[in-house]
Amino acid sequence: MRRYFNPSKVALNLSVFLLALFILGPILWLGVHAFVTDWKYPHLYPSGLTLNWWSKVFLDSALKTAIRNSLIISPIVVVLSMVICLPAAYAAGRMNYWGRKTFMITLFSANSFPKIGLFAAIATLYYTLNLMGTFLGVVIIQLLGTIIYMTWIPAAAFASVPRYLEEAARDAGASKFTVFRTITLRMAMPGILVAIVMSFLASFDEAQGSYLVGAPTIYTMPTEMYSLVQNYPIQVAAVFSILLAIPSVLLLGLARKHIMGGQLAEGFQIK
Amino acid sequence: MKNVEANMGLELRGLKKILGGRVIIENLDLSMAKGEMISLLGPSGCGKTTTLRMIAGFLIPDAGTVKVAGKDVTNLGPEKRPSAMVFQNYALWPHMTVSRNVAYPLKIKGLGKIETAEKVEAALGLVNLLHHQDSRPGRISGGEQQRVALARALVQEPDVLLLDEPLSNLDAKLREKVREDIRELQRRLGITTVIVTHDQEEALSISDRVAVMNAGKIEQFSNPQDLYRHPATEYVATFIGALNRFEGNLVEGRIVSGSDVIGIRPEDLILSSQQNDDALPGTVELVIPRGHFFEVVIRREDGIFKAFTNEFIPAVGENVFVKIKKSLRYQNGKLVG
Amino acid sequence: MRSLLRRTGKEGSLANNGSGSSLFGFALSLPPLLLVLGFVGIPILIGFTFSLGFTKGPNRVIAIIGQQIHPKTHWWGTFAAYSDVFHDSRFVGDLVLTLAVTAISTVLVIVIALAIALHQRLVGGRTASVLATLSIVPLFVPVVISAWAIHTFYGGDGFMRSFFANIGINFPTLTSTSTAIVIGSVWTSLPFSILMISSGVQAVPDALIESAKDCGASTLKVISTVVVPLAQTPIIIAGSFTAIGIMGSFTIPLFLGPNQPTMLGVEISNFFGSYNRPQQSLVMAFIVFLAASGIAVLYIWSNVKSAKENGRI
Repeated sequence: MRRYFNPSKVALNLSVFLLALFILGPILWLGVHAFVTDWKYPHLYPSGLTLNWWSKVFLDSALKTAIRNSLIISPIVVVLSMVICLPAAYAAGRMNYWGRKTFMITLFSANSFPKIGLFAAIATLYYTLNLMGTFLGVVIIQLLGTIIYMTWIPAAAFASVPRYLEEAARDAGASKFTVFRTITLRMAMPGILVAIVMSFLASFDEAQGSYLVGAPTIYTMPTEMYSLVQNYPIQVAAVFSILLAIPSVLLLGLARKHIMGGQLAEGFQIK
Repeated sequence: MKNVEANMGLELRGLKKILGGRVIIENLDLSMAKGEMISLLGPSGCGKTTTLRMIAGFLIPDAGTVKVAGKDVTNLGPEKRPSAMVFQNYALWPHMTVSRNVAYPLKIKGLGKIETAEKVEAALGLVNLLHHQDSRPGRISGGEQQRVALARALVQEPDVLLLDEPLSNLDAKLREKVREDIRELQRRLGITTVIVTHDQEEALSISDRVAVMNAGKIEQFSNPQDLYRHPATEYVATFIGALNRFEGNLVEGRIVSGSDVIGIRPEDLILSSQQNDDALPGTVELVIPRGHFFEVVIRREDGIFKAFTNEFIPAVGENVFVKIKKSLRYQNGKLVG
Repeated sequence: MRSLLRRTGKEGSLANNGSGSSLFGFALSLPPLLLVLGFVGIPILIGFTFSLGFTKGPNRVIAIIGQQIHPKTHWWGTFAAYSDVFHDSRFVGDLVLTLAVTAISTVLVIVIALAIALHQRLVGGRTASVLATLSIVPLFVPVVISAWAIHTFYGGDGFMRSFFANIGINFPTLTSTSTAIVIGSVWTSLPFSILMISSGVQAVPDALIESAKDCGASTLKVISTVVVPLAQTPIIIAGSFTAIGIMGSFTIPLFLGPNQPTMLGVEISNFFGSYNRPQQSLVMAFIVFLAASGIAVLYIWSNVKSAKENGRI
């Protein structure tokens, strides 16, 4: 006989609903504001619909500059991070050199110093090196936040390429470099892709450090948000938020399969 | 013998390898003719895989030489050697299709597209896998994966083919068929082949000659028949086939105390219900049907014997006479008679 | 489990594993190491000397600009700035809030993540994948946006209040309370923990779960005696990363928290910027770092322990 009331099923559906409300509620609520004229408490419907806020954002030169800055800085940061970190990731994943473990733990410790405290401490160095308010200064600040992703995740990916697959290629006549290019790198690609996406987001979303180091000369999209939420109506912030979220959604959509497939989780276990 | 060099398949001279401070291979010699198929047989840790890896070039020997088809390759890396290996777990690249796996060595060599395609097709045809050329390795069965690995090795037209435990990852039924297929292919192509295995049945049934290895040395290198009938060392005698082993001497069909080691194959014991010359009485303790023959355990006053028989099958508790037809005598581990 | 340590093959690997490659590996690891040492290590060291009252050398400029600077009184420095901070009632309130928010949020995150991961592992089905996908969503949203979105959602004229007002309930304004910081922290930390924990829980073999059930263990018993202990390392990693992240967070408490007391991340920034008291600001940063280090040790210990159990060390 079929049971029409199943308490565990009801509890399950209720928890799905609550999680959906908890997770999606805020972003949907903010997102909808990008298209409404006004929305007053306690109404459940907005006063009217409009696209005016979008033109407001696109016509505002400060906001446009912030968008441009973000779109220039983040790719540069990611490429620099790859150049600096991927060889180290290969070494950490594949070679048993002296200090390998210390290296991994040093990167981790650096990551566990409170970011805001680091940015306060870094000011002295930045003044000495004349990096305050410079493009390079912002790039370096954002670079620091990508290192842990760009070393750990690819290191695990490199480590998980079985040796015998490389040996089989050597046996088939491939030189060491060809083996690296056609087998090792190719097989570590999903991990590297996840690292690239996570690094891009870490850079693109970085706000505190870029604000401290870049303002008032260089604003990126997230740092612009700080002033935006104070000086503009919520609808403008909503439009800006949607714009800011587009790269994240696109990139993560691209790498979703690998991220959920465990590449990210794998990268955070020191072995 | 002017054509010795051309007829040479593989020659190992005085090979030595130390890994992690431990001597794995000590002064190993082995030579085989072109077109021959041999096995390196031994328990795990005996050094057979190390030897294979030195032939393939994954390990450089600390001393000695490796010659393939008369050419010294001792100091060449694996990519420069005229050998091709089939790995134990097949080592197929999961990001390439079957035909791209097989084409890889040709691409590395810089062969043209058309020629590559022809050779890949021929190799896949040899192993009956043409219908799977566009599949990914993960999508085909273990037996098929192994054939892909074989095709990838054969397409290189190697002077020596190396197979590392080729059957260990297959189920029992498939194993026998693949074994015969490999042997048939090897004969047809006349390719010099070395197989590493820990399975004596596999080694004996597939090879022209078998090198039995123990503790980094070759104990005996001979044809299967010889290995079984005339095991040169006590180790080979106990490792290959079943053996009744006694410490003592054999005098008038009786084991007496002494300094030798006597080995008797179970099929070399003749059982009968009647007394005849040299036969001694004993009591049947156990009878185990083993398919086409029976294993019978008999207690004689000089020891417990295991016999294989399919003619006279006694019952448990019965008194029978056991005659030793043939025995092997070892002194200090070496065969003396 | 894949491993970074399992690199010496059974009978040796490619022939060239000499000491040369060891030096090469070390050389390859230098660029990120130098970057981190230069732009994290050195500033922290200089900052530490400054917090002890070394006001000369690189600290000269900041010592002139900043207010209430305590120069060193002994050869090793002075604890005056530390004493300032600990005698500041605002700091004590901040510290309590920071630790409480961190503890509560971390526990909530782990419990929710574990529940979703366990449901996915033991029950599965469509609902499970909906739950898992939902909980990954925050990963797609920059933290500035999520903070602002939560701010408006639970704000005075936000959805929650509007909705409940329509059914006659006066829902409290959560924005600018410590509850909102917890909500925001859980929201942003959930994806990482879900990924970590579900990968650990998924790795528990079916046979171990089934054999426990076969011995008569209830689902709860299977979870507490088989699944959770086996997934312990990923759970601890998730917990320590979450806690460290929340403890040093800035944007979430800035947008969502009350003005007073606030989390130390915001207070560090206030002391550095608004109050122009850089020395005290750094002292707070070191206190947070000390607490975070304690958690980091837990993380490293857990990694080492799991490596030992798997016979990798």
